[in-house]
Amino acid sequence: MAQVAKSITSPVPEGLYPTLSVLMLAIGLIITASFFIYEATASKQYRSLAKELTTGALASLFLGFGSLFLLLTSGVYV
Amino acid sequence: MGFRFNLFLFLIAMLSTPVLSDLILAKVDRRIDLTSQIVRITSVLKVENAGTDVVSEVLFALPEYQSKNLVFMQAFPNGGKGKTKASTTSLPFQVVNPEGMPPALTFYSVSLPKGLSKGESFTFDVFVVFTHSLRPFPEEITQADSQIVLFQDSAYYLSPYEVKVQSLTVTLPSARVESYTKLHNTKHVDSEIKYGPYEKLPPFSYSPIVIHFENNRPFAVAQQLVREIEISHWGNIQVTEHYNLVHGGAQNKGGFSRLDYQVRAHVRGSSSFRHLTAKLPPRARSVYYRDEIGNISTSHLWGDSRKTELEIEPRYPMFGGWRTSFTIGYGLPLKDFLFESGKKRFLNITFGCPIDDVVVNNLIVKVVLPEGSKDISVATPFVVKQSQEVKYSHLDIAGRPVVVLEKTNVVPEHNVHFQVYYKFNTLSLLREPLMLISGFFLLFITCIVYMHADITISKSSPSYLAKLQWDEVQAAIQQFRSSINRCLVVHDKLEASLRDLSRTGDVQSCKAARKAADGSLKELAKELKPLLAFLQSSPQATQLWPKVEELVAKEREMQEKLMLKHSTVVDSYEKKSGVRDIENRIASLQQKLVALRQDVDELLEFLDEI
Repeated sequence: MAQVAKSITSPVPEGLYPTLSVLMLAIGLIITASFFIYEATASKQYRSLAKELTTGALASLFLGFGSLFLLLTSGVYV
Repeated sequence: MGFRFNLFLFLIAMLSTPVLSDLILAKVDRRIDLTSQIVRITSVLKVENAGTDVVSEVLFALPEYQSKNLVFMQAFPNGGKGKTKASTTSLPFQVVNPEGMPPALTFYSVSLPKGLSKGESFTFDVFVVFTHSLRPFPEEITQADSQIVLFQDSAYYLSPYEVKVQSLTVTLPSARVESYTKLHNTKHVDSEIKYGPYEKLPPFSYSPIVIHFENNRPFAVAQQLVREIEISHWGNIQVTEHYNLVHGGAQNKGGFSRLDYQVRAHVRGSSSFRHLTAKLPPRARSVYYRDEIGNISTSHLWGDSRKTELEIEPRYPMFGGWRTSFTIGYGLPLKDFLFESGKKRFLNITFGCPIDDVVVNNLIVKVVLPEGSKDISVATPFVVKQSQEVKYSHLDIAGRPVVVLEKTNVVPEHNVHFQVYYKFNTLSLLREPLMLISGFFLLFITCIVYMHADITISKSSPSYLAKLQWDEVQAAIQQFRSSINRCLVVHDKLEASLRDLSRTGDVQSCKAARKAADGSLKELAKELKPLLAFLQSSPQATQLWPKVEELVAKEREMQEKLMLKHSTVVDSYEKKSGVRDIENRIASLQQKLVALRQDVDELLEFLDEI
């Protein structure tokens, strides 16, 4: 090995996994709740598809990362 | 003890064989370590060139019965008294077949770092390891017996060269020896047997010796060990080891008495072993020890900054021939074992079994690389069988590439580092979260589609039509409500502008606010017109219509009163009337406005409940 080998670490410090998981899941669930409230209350004619999609995308982003960190916290290293 | 074994008779007529080279061995010092089930022989050889030609290779001979059990061999220059094994590099060697040599011998040619010219000498060590070389005798013992094993070798160093001075030391696990071959110059002190020194022996001198001694060390043989090393770039290396262990010593006969064992385990079970110690790397975490039934609770774990030690106890004491299988697993921090050099990443981890003194008959090391790894190559310090496969694990699409390394007869000496090189794009790390995200997004999309889709079968049924109309009415009511609410906001703004006026006396800005309010109210009234027309005509809204009408009327009245109030106040200010005077003039208006506002709020609430 001519080059100096430097060790590789995870992109996010492992100690942050539990905090990140709780935080992102909480945010994700709140946005999910707002999504479903909107779905249930807004009447059919005046519902905006763009708003639904953005809320859904945002919620799934937070839920996705939140559940990833939850998996990592619980020892399931994906 | 007239126990005499002459298993191997070497009839070597060496006089006819041509002399290989003019090397002689000035001094040979051999140490045989028999303290475990593995036989380790260290030979210190001092070669001397007695001829005229430069010699750079030395032959090292092993008889067939030894060479077939040879699992590890290493030659390194002897740096004097101090043990400097680690700092010196080992000498290369290879198997050779010189002509005219007896076929029962296997020759290894050791290359010297530089050629030896006439009269020069060089000292080097040869370290060889054998497995399955201790034969239990008797082959079957009862629970109470000790295990006695046979070992055979030659008292003289078997070599194609003349040996000037030589000695042999055999280290045994205990002082109890059944018998050993006595030659001249043989000494047995405690747990050591010394042969020699012997002087001036011709090439291929051979004198078989047999040592019959007690060895109760664990003869733990793993028939198969599968080590799976799974890399996750999220910060963990998961090692899972599946053991298939057997006690490879003398077979147990006559049954097993738990009572005897429990009362005097050292006497009534001395040939068995009940625990094994695994030396895991430091900072190992989430260690488990289980088998098919489940967790095995008899294990202990402790560690410091240099190592983690796991003591495991199988479910039952292991007697000769008994088998057990279990699994050990642990996680290791990524930064200790995974490195980056240039564009490539590599894993640097130990190859062999972490348990002390276990012989592994068949070792399979599987390195599971993260999904998306490319250009995989392996660097091992010894020859292994290599293959590749694919493993599907959590959140995989294409599967993870697996490097499979197989090696037979692995001893603790093979527990050295090996490297697996691969290329990996950091962006591939996002595969798993993206999968989770798309999974959740799919759920939301399904909800949206369900809410938007009209899945009524009969589109012409009266109930369906009524529902459609009712939906329209509801939407209209909703819009109507929001319009009214906006009107009320405009009212509030006007009131606020009046309050500002009383504070600052700025008539102009108040007039501007009035103008803006007039404009927006006019717009809202325009917006309301079609809605009201629809609600009036719709048969579904007949019940609601009076309320709507009332609300519109009240709102209009309120608007008028507010405008009146506004103009009155502004006029008064322009005429510079007293504060009390203004209040008197608008008091009745104010009362009405409050009452109207209450009515409007009640009506809005009623509509809200629909």
